Parts: sequence; structure tokens; C-alpha cells
Amino acid sequence: MHPFSLERPRDLAGAFASGAQAGRNDAPIEFIAGGTDMVQLLQEHVRRPDRLVSLSGLLDATIELSPEGLRIGAAATMADTAAHPAVLEGFPVIAEALLASASPQVRNQATIGGNLLQRTRCPYFRDVGYAACNKRAPGSGCSALGGETRWNAVLGTSQSCIAAHASDLAVALVALDPVVELRSASGQRTVPLAEFHRLPGETPHIETVLEPGEVVAGILVPASPIARRSHYLKVRDRASFEFALVSAAVGLDLEDGIIRDAHVALGGVGTKPWRVPEVEAALSGAALEEAALRQAAALATQGAEPRGGNAFKIELMQRAIVRAIQTAGARA
Amino acid sequence: MSATRFTLNGGEVEARSAPAARLTQVLREEFGLTGTKVGCDAGDCGACTVLLDGEPVCACLTAVGQVEGARVETIEGLGRASEVTRRLQESFLAHGAAQCGICTPGMLVAATHLLERTPHPTEQEAMDAIGGVLCRCTGYRKIVAAVCAAGTPVPHEETPTAGAAVGARLRRLDGRRKVEGTDIFGADEAPPDCLLLRAVRSPYHRARFRFGDLEGFLKAHPGIHRVLTARDVPGVNCYGVIPPFADQPVFAVEEARFRGEAVAAVVGESAAVEALDLAPFPVEWQELPPLTTMDAALADDAPLIHPGRPQNVLTRGRVVRGDVEAGLAQADLVVESRFETGFIEHAYIEPEAGFARRVGDRIEVQVSTQAPHHHRDDIAKILGISPEAVRILPTAVGGGFGSKLDMSVQPFVALAAWLLRRPVRMVWSRPESMMASTKRHPARMRSRIGATRDGRLVAIDFEADFNTGAYSSWGPTVANRVPVHASGPYYVPHCRARSRAIHTNLVPAGAFRGFGVPQLTLAQEQLMDELAEKLGMDALEFRILNALRPDQPTATGQVLGAGCGIRQCFEALRPQWRKRREAARRFNEQNAAGVLRRGVGLAGMWYGCGNTSMPNPSTMRVGLKANGRIALHQGAVDIGQGSNTVIAQILADALGAPIGCIDLLPADTDITPDCGKTSASRQTFVSGKAAELAGRQLRAEILRQANAGEGARLSFEEGRVTVQEGDHERVLWLESLPLDARGYVLSAEATFDPPTTPLDADGQGDPYAVYGFGAHLAEVEVDLELGTTKLIGLIAAHDVGRAVNPMLIEGQIEGGAAQGLGMALMEEFIPGRGENLHDYLIPSAGDMPKIEFVLIEDAAPVGPFGAKGIGEQALIPTAPAIFNAIYDAAGVRLRRAPATPDRLRAAIKALAR
Repeated sequence: MHPFSLERPRDLAGAFASGAQAGRNDAPIEFIAGGTDMVQLLQEHVRRPDRLVSLSGLLDATIELSPEGLRIGAAATMADTAAHPAVLEGFPVIAEALLASASPQVRNQATIGGNLLQRTRCPYFRDVGYAACNKRAPGSGCSALGGETRWNAVLGTSQSCIAAHASDLAVALVALDPVVELRSASGQRTVPLAEFHRLPGETPHIETVLEPGEVVAGILVPASPIARRSHYLKVRDRASFEFALVSAAVGLDLEDGIIRDAHVALGGVGTKPWRVPEVEAALSGAALEEAALRQAAALATQGAEPRGGNAFKIELMQRAIVRAIQTAGARA
Repeated sequence: MSATRFTLNGGEVEARSAPAARLTQVLREEFGLTGTKVGCDAGDCGACTVLLDGEPVCACLTAVGQVEGARVETIEGLGRASEVTRRLQESFLAHGAAQCGICTPGMLVAATHLLERTPHPTEQEAMDAIGGVLCRCTGYRKIVAAVCAAGTPVPHEETPTAGAAVGARLRRLDGRRKVEGTDIFGADEAPPDCLLLRAVRSPYHRARFRFGDLEGFLKAHPGIHRVLTARDVPGVNCYGVIPPFADQPVFAVEEARFRGEAVAAVVGESAAVEALDLAPFPVEWQELPPLTTMDAALADDAPLIHPGRPQNVLTRGRVVRGDVEAGLAQADLVVESRFETGFIEHAYIEPEAGFARRVGDRIEVQVSTQAPHHHRDDIAKILGISPEAVRILPTAVGGGFGSKLDMSVQPFVALAAWLLRRPVRMVWSRPESMMASTKRHPARMRSRIGATRDGRLVAIDFEADFNTGAYSSWGPTVANRVPVHASGPYYVPHCRARSRAIHTNLVPAGAFRGFGVPQLTLAQEQLMDELAEKLGMDALEFRILNALRPDQPTATGQVLGAGCGIRQCFEALRPQWRKRREAARRFNEQNAAGVLRRGVGLAGMWYGCGNTSMPNPSTMRVGLKANGRIALHQGAVDIGQGSNTVIAQILADALGAPIGCIDLLPADTDITPDCGKTSASRQTFVSGKAAELAGRQLRAEILRQANAGEGARLSFEEGRVTVQEGDHERVLWLESLPLDARGYVLSAEATFDPPTTPLDADGQGDPYAVYGFGAHLAEVEVDLELGTTKLIGLIAAHDVGRAVNPMLIEGQIEGGAAQGLGMALMEEFIPGRGENLHDYLIPSAGDMPKIEFVLIEDAAPVGPFGAKGIGEQALIPTAPAIFNAIYDAAGVRLRRAPATPDRLRAAIKALAR
């Protein structure tokens, strides 16, 4: 395990003052909350911060439904969020994505804020035995390009990085147009989740728009018919406790079997949680018929760049979209 | 930094470890609570599950600083304080839910949380609750059953009376400490002044290396006492499981032959070694082009990985009977195909661990091992001392499946403790375990099988290459065993089977449950299906027609005479085969418009128990103590499969004593005679037979002393044995008898070596005294669009000769089937990639369907009470049965395992074109 000091500031002001920065792989000081991802990264020497600043007990863990929508405090655990009646009732895609994630133990520890910040499962990022990884060691190259790519992204990739974003929750959330509340010593700002994660471009080590000393404080998800009729489909190699090969989060606003509005996001295929507006546009006004759904889903592949071992995802993501819409559409 | 205060198992404690220390380490090392196990240190296996403020969490992912003020409960505390946990523990014992026991505490803690809220959970709720704890032994079904049943008190076990132990569903004799979390595994114990050792390993598949300033490194790192390299080995820097092929160095010399090979080790105070960053260790690497495929290794200009092994071929195997070309020419129909499988990781939840200490001029190694006597001899050679100067004390083994037959930490800790005269400990991390331990051999197979129009097999021509990696390990065994089994459990007049084990610069492939036979069977049983289909025959009836009869010769010319229950296994499946095929057909018709298809598949198997044409004796010793109890020197290492229990059951009935009279002395090379290795499904058969013989000897001696006949009844009581024959009763007063050197009043020792003969140049002979037979029926549901496969049912029929303990046999079958399921659907290890349990997937609770059993008892006269092995037999037919079921469902045959969604989709697409 990489040696580090663990600090427990008394209050948020202390945490802000530490200058820790989340979501950046070269930050010398980083926050730790549930720690389920961070401890693994430290063990494998993938992250080498000198200091970790604990957010335990400093952030809001409440889950509340208000006329504006659902607010999930960043410190709420995955387990508490998945079991919350308001989530189950009005935002099933969130509960489904959470229950399809990790294990009961991990869900009891991991926080919602931390989940949005979890690092990729790209095996080359996670194994320091491979010297080249631009995400882990900026400028060192990319071992995945030309390597085994079964686990990597086909959308939003760059010549520097093709690592897939790992979170199921972020995919489910991004389909619902939430905003992320960020707090720092200078106050609070909100960022749409769709803009929270950055594309890798030439700086894949900077994963989010978070500034030094800034933390995720909560997520506000608007309530909508889309959120109520939503579904998360995950395709993976075993029944539980496994990351997605491909996943699809969909929300539908239906009237008499016709899709008035659809939101569709994909996991396992993008370098960030991936919305597919072209698919959504094509679905708008479409009937819940397989041919129409397939035609719309085909648009998800725009800009997709398969690289050998991940080429199967091009087809699989279209099928996942169709299946997820059918399942959501069949719900009462 | 200040101490962390929290409540631990109901008491207030203060942890002195740094706040950044893992909770697992603090619980285990600072508070001695080793019931919390470490399987991965990454949250993947759940063996370290504890309750944190009442919720199950992975202690390995928790920094102790994070639990300030919180409430932590471990298996030790829950076992004392929670009625629910105690009921679960009893239920686990009654259901046989603990095998090796390494995952058991984590399972119990997770289940406690469920049962506290839901006293009578459904199966799904139980599976969800334990979904984050991996088990590699049980196949989960008995755990789920135990959790579901724990809401009501478990009835007290009725212990069998004298003579009724064999055949009883007896609870494991060593089960209680497993459910209490007190069983000692490799990493659970170390002397207080123990040093820690870490290996420096090659980051390259092949590299030349040179050390820099080792002295300078030592000086710069206070707390590090010594750096060890090949120069420090006083004896021979070479070991291996098959002595004539031994080729593996403790430390590589000049060139590392695989990624993960040790070149040096650092030894020092625990804290210093743990904190050490090995990146600046003074070793200079020069990467060399590695041979990573068998084709590259076989190329004419390929460098030789070991001089003296031309073409990088380690060994060849060969069995030839009849005239295969003439046979194929006679056949009305010949099917042919190629098949491929990859490396498979054993993925036991307990990584390799142990410690050594020097006691005068002897060395003691306490370690997780499947082969104590063999390791004793190898350590002696490495240290240049006599085998008698080495003592191996096996700990509980947290899963082995073949890989712990090879040495892991043993040479390192023995060497360091010998030289430094301080106890030295080594605990492999999960990535280290996956990088350096042996794997299942990748196979590349080509097979042709011919049959006549009326469905009789006439000829099999089989060829296979096995990637054996950088060192020999069990490569010769795989190469020899596979050709013997190439005919499958069928009568085939013309057979030619050839194999090669080929070196590459990859991790050594060794023993893994089945020694190559699972790979072979994946190929052959798919071709059997193809043949049946092309002949227009029912796949089951075709197999029954060809099933080997006791009076027919095998491909090695052996006539079994008895104990040949393959036909019964197939016939037992007939009613369900018809019923389930019909049900699948109905489902597919009713859902013709949908994307789900069901299918049913079959596979048969046979497997020889014990070493192939080689001596493999076991010796058992029993002693009658003056207090009337019987000591069993039980050296057959129990790696979870149950030899501690099964061998005691056999002894009890051979002796005519109630099993409760027996005290087990577990494996220890100073105390237990050599019972060989826990491998090749040989312990029930070979060591069990030795126990039977020893028991009968001791009984004969008691009867002689009492001047009684064979039919007499014995009762063992404090200080005496009562011998009753009809109305006549005689008491043998034990305290009046002289004690022998071991403190026994009477004792017996017996050796059994199964009768085999060497194989000639054509592989003809009697390689095994006994074969186990079996057949599986698998039912799958394939999602044609997403390419996913779910196993929804499995029926396992096995000829076990005699079911000594049906509950343990079921456990072996369920666990074997789970590994077969993994081989079929998800498991493939890629050296250098994903050396952890989140990238390398093994089945989780939700993957396993209910399993139904048919136990056939076609007694093998030579076995103890007719018993044969089951450990490997259980796994062999699962994967081919699943592949045949996938074909039945989706119409595609996969020639490459595993059948992942991407491969299955590609095959379905190719079929549509």
C-alpha cells in the first residue's frame, strides 16, 4: 500500500483549506469518503497522494424529495439510496443501477459522491506494471491502444486514452438531467452532471471539472415522467458484482404507446457517462415497435471507434438500448 | 497521531495502528481476531466482511481512522453475542455449508445481518445477502440452504452407531472451528518476533537481469535485515513436483522466464517490509523477446527455455490401440473439429501464506499446502539438509484445487529462517498469488471421431498441445493423463491419442482439478453430440449404446471387471433428459417471437483415481490410548474436501467403533505418516483404504488379545474395551497394557498403494486401479440478442463406488459444477492482465442454479468399502454439458471457451449469415 497520512478535519472549512482535489490523478492531496475505490488504488500504487483528507461525517447524507425533485446528499451510501422509497417510486433507474453495482458490503460503504468520482477499470490504468498510462502518469502513453480492449470504450475516446467510465449510477443519473452541487471555500456552484465529467482529450488524468478544495455536496435530480418510467439494463459476464460490458439507462414519457420523449444513456462504452441525443431525437414520436427502436438505436454508434476486442460493443449497445426501452415501455 | 477509539465486539478499544491502516490488519494483527479473513484486500471477495454500525462492510476497504466512534462486530463477537449467528453456525454445520472454511466467517456475518431483519428469508434474499462474498469450494447452494433454514433451530445431530459411519450424512468433524472463525489458515499465525519477507519479481515475461548495489540498498533501509538471491541458497536452487523434471529455481539466475518469477527477496521487520517501495530495488532489467504462444515456442528458430528440451517440448503422451486410420476408414461417419481453452486461475480465497522457524538444526514450516511430505523433501534439498531435519505443519487450507501442490512461500521462508535464525513469514497478496501460482493448462486440441451407421463408436484420433508455461510443474502429468482419457467413458476399438506439454515464457501451468481432462472432455463430448445428431440418434441413447462395459477393454487395454458405473449414470438421467428436452421445446415454441431460448445438454466423463501408472502409497497409523480413545494419524491433508471426516468414518467402521471415539491428529510430517498428496481424487480411495486396513489390523489385534472371533462387538470406554461375542463378554483393561513409544497400548499402521502397471510405448497397461464415472445434464437459457447464457438447471449423476458421506459428496459436486460453470461461461486468465478477483471472474451465488444429484454406487472392490474419488470427477462434465445445451438452445457450437456474451453473439451472427 502506498504510504499516506489520513487527516480528519473537524469541519468542512478545514477540508476545503486542505487544498485536496478529487477527480485528478496527479493531485498530491486527495479527499477520501467511503474509500472503497481509493483504498484499492492506494494498494496498487495507482494513486500516490501524500495526504488523504477524510470527508467522513462532514457532508450531508440525507435523501429528500421536494417539489424540485430528488436531492441526494453526497455522503448518502449506495445502499441507503437504493432502498429509499422516493427513489424506488419515482426514479427506479437509480435504484436498479445501484443494486446492479458492486456488492452489498461495498454499497454499504461507498457514497454517492464518491461513486461519481470512481476511477476507470481499464486494466492498464489499474496495473502499475504497465508504465504507459496517460490517465495514471500524464504523458506516458496508452497501453490499451494496441492492447486487450475488451473492457475499453468506443465512444469519446482520444489518442491518449480509451478508458471506459466505470460507474453504473452515473449512467443512470445522466439520463435524468441532474445537476451536481459543488462546494468549496468560496461557496457553492452547480454543474449539470453531463458537464461534470470531462472527455479524456489530451489530459485524461483530469477527469472532472472539480477545482482544488472543491467537493461534491449533493445531486439534484428533477422529478419527471421520464424518471418515473425508467430502467437500467446491465450486460455482464456474471450474475453479480461485476462491471458492465455494456449498460443502458432509459427513461420514457409515453402516451398511448407512442414515445413523447425519451432519455437514453450508455455505460461500458463511453469515456464518460454517455447520453445519445441522436437516439433520443429519433425515438421522439416513435411507436414502441422493434423496428423503430432498432432504427433509433443504430444512431448511438455515431462517432464510435471500435478497436479490436471491444468491437462487439457496437452491436451490443444498440441491442441493450432496444431491450431497455422495451422493458421500460412494458411497465405499468 | 492519536489512537482510534471504537467499540469492538461490545468492548471499548483503542487501536494504536496508524489511522490509515486497514481495519482488516488492525483486527487481525493488533487484536488477534483472525476470524476476519483476507482474500483480496480489494473488496472483491468479501472474506473480511464485518458489521460496521450494524451494516456489513469489507474491513479491507476501511481505514481504521474511519471507524472512530463506530461499532465493529466480527465473527468472534457475533458468535458470542448473537443468537442469530449461533443458529447460522449450527445450520452451516448441518447443511455442510462450510468446506475449506475461508469464506465462512464472511458468509456468516453477511447472513447475520440478513437474518436479524428477515428471520425467514427467501432463496433470492439469501443470495442477495451473500452476493458480495465469494466461495470457490461449495458452489453456494448449501450456504443458501443453510441461511434459509437458520430461522428455525437446527436439530441435534444423531451420531451414527458403531458400524454405521460409512454412508452417514455426517457433519464435518473439523467444522466447528471453521464456523467459529478459529481455524488457523496460512496467514493466521506467526511467532511474535517474526520477520516478514517479500519477493522481488520480474515485471517482464522474459528478461535478463543484474543486481546493483544490494549492500547499499540494505544500508539505506533500516529494518531490512537481509536481501536474498540465488547465491544464498545453500543446497540446490531447484525444485519441482515431479523429481525427474524438477526445474524451478527458488530465485532465478541471470534470466527470469516468466512475469512474476522471483529473483530476490527482502527480509526484515514487518513494518519496514510492509512500507517498503520495491521500485528502487537495485535490479537492472533487460527485457528479452518472450515466447508467449505455443506456436512461437515450437518454431524452429525459437530459443530454448530449458536446454535439453528440444522445440520447447517438455513431454509427450501417447496411447495407441488398434489401427486408428483403418478404424476411421471403416466408419460411416466421421466428425472432426478443433477446440481451444485458456489459462484458468484456481482463485482459492486464501492466498498462499505461512512462516518458518529454525529449531536448532531443524527447520519447521507452517504453511497452507496440499503436499506436506513432498515439500519436506524439496525444502531439504534446497537447504542441503536431510528430510528428517524438516518439519512441515500444514495449516487449514483455504482452497487448493491443485495449485497448493506446488511450493509457494515455503522455499523463501525456510531459506530466510534458516539463514537468519529468526522466524520469517510470507503472505502473498492476491495479485502476487495470481501472478506466480500455477494455472490450468491452456489447451489446443484437434479431434476426429468415427462411428458406424448403427451408432457404434469405432475410432478416435485425438491430438492436444498444452501450454505448460515456464516450468514443468505438473505438465508431464497432464500430458500423460489426457491420452489415457481421450476415449471418454466409452468402448472405442481404435484409439490414437497424442499430447505435448510445451514451454512458453508464461506462468507455469500445473495441477488444477482434472489434470487436463476437463479440457479434453470439452472437446470430446461436443463431438459426441455432433456424431449423435448426424447419425439421427438421441444424444443420450448414443452414449448409453457406447458406454464402457466392465468386460470391455479401455483404450489402454485395461478391463475394469467391476466398478464401471457409466451406463447407470446415463440411464439415471433418462427420465429427466426426456422431460426437460420437452419442456425446453415447449418454452421455445411459446416464446418463438421472443429472444430467449432454452436448451438441454449432456456430457459424460470418466477419471482415473490416483497417479497415472506410478506408485502413490498412503500410510495410516492408528493407536489405542489407555483411556480407550483411538488416535488417528491422519496425514491426508483436508483442503475442504473432507478427508478429516471421511477417513475417520472409514476407520470407525473398519474398527467397529463409534466415530465419537476417534481423536484426529491432523497432518504434520513429524506425526503423521506420508499420505501422499491431496490430488488426483486419491484421498478417499488410497488414504481411505490405508485407514480401512489399519483399522482392521487394530481390530484384529484387539480381538486376538480378547481371544474373540471376527464377529465380536467392541465398545470403547474409559480405560477399557469390552468385547462381546454372543453372550460372552470380555473386558480388555487398557491400563494394564504396556505403552509403546508413542504412548499407545495397541497400534497399527497400514500402507496401501493402488495396483497399477506401467504403460508401454503405446500407452498400454493398467494406469489406474479405479475410475470414477459420471454424467451431467445442463439446462440453459440463452439470450439470443445479448449473447448471455444462464445455467438454469443441472443434474449430476456420479458413480462414486460407495458414498462414504453423501453430504460431503454433494458438496464436492456442487463446488466442482460451479468451477465447470466458470470454465464454460466466464473464466480465462490472461497473464499480466487482471491479476485480481474483479477482473478475473469466478461464479457468484447468483450464477448457480439448484443442483440435483444421483449417486450411483457401483462398488470398486479395491476401494475402502467400495469407494472411489469424486473431487475432480465432479467438475469434468459440467462445461461440455453447458456447451451442448447452448447448441441445443441457440444452434451454435463454440470451439473456444469461455462462452462470453461477445463470443456467443459473434457465433449467432455467423450462423445467421
